[in-house]
Amino acid sequence: MIRKRRREEEDSEINITPMMDIVFIMLIFFIVTTSFIKETGIDPNRPVAETAIRAEQGNILIAISPNDQIWMNKNQIQLESVRILMEAAHAENPESSVVIVADELASTGLVMDIMDQIRLGGISKVSLSAKEK
Amino acid sequence: MRRRFKKNREESEINITPMLDIVFIMLIFFIVTTSFVKEISIDVNRPTKSPIKEQKKSEVISVRISAEGQIFVQDRLITLDAVRANIESNLALKPQASVVVVSDREADAGFLVKVIDQSRLAGARNVSLAAQK
Repeated sequence: MIRKRRREEEDSEINITPMMDIVFIMLIFFIVTTSFIKETGIDPNRPVAETAIRAEQGNILIAISPNDQIWMNKNQIQLESVRILMEAAHAENPESSVVIVADELASTGLVMDIMDQIRLGGISKVSLSAKEK
Repeated sequence: MRRRFKKNREESEINITPMLDIVFIMLIFFIVTTSFVKEISIDVNRPTKSPIKEQKKSEVISVRISAEGQIFVQDRLITLDAVRANIESNLALKPQASVVVVSDREADAGFLVKVIDQSRLAGARNVSLAAQK
């Protein structure tokens, strides 16, 4: 009996079951919380709004610089290509929604043009970025 | 010798090392790619241009922003601080009304967000955005 136990001990490895449990829980946590937000490449000065809420679904960011340049995915893009990009994003993930990060000094006309292009691209959930007071 | 081999096989479990490798690589991938940055934003409706959805004038509180940053609520010139009170009193008269912000193309986006924020603070359930014709 003693001999058998000794042999077993020699054979056995470290018990990795608790580590496996933790690793799996971490994996599931990260899979669930990952949202793959694409950075825009610029950081505009967001307007302050009191009723702003956290956009849980917004995973596409389009930034507008103070001098009316459109930035998406670390590239400057033209207004005409917004629609094609949105169509591609919609095909990739039909649940996707867009957050427009417009600078305080950007013109309203461009914001509305981009909203129209996003809508034409098939995405109906659009919101305007703001910062909390 | 043979007996020992047989006993070993009975005792042995499924080899989970390859699975562990994959799980670890996935875990590291998700840790690296996760970004917990969530945009704070306000939702805006952008009505389609079709005239079918055009609402009756009696159910709409119009807020107009001129290119110079002047605000007109129901064609009355007011300051930004008075927007909330004005919309509140208008909503008291027409509880079902929705607020339509008509902005000049040259107005600042930050100003637009502030006006939308104020109308939402006033209790407007439906704030939509329209371009000036």
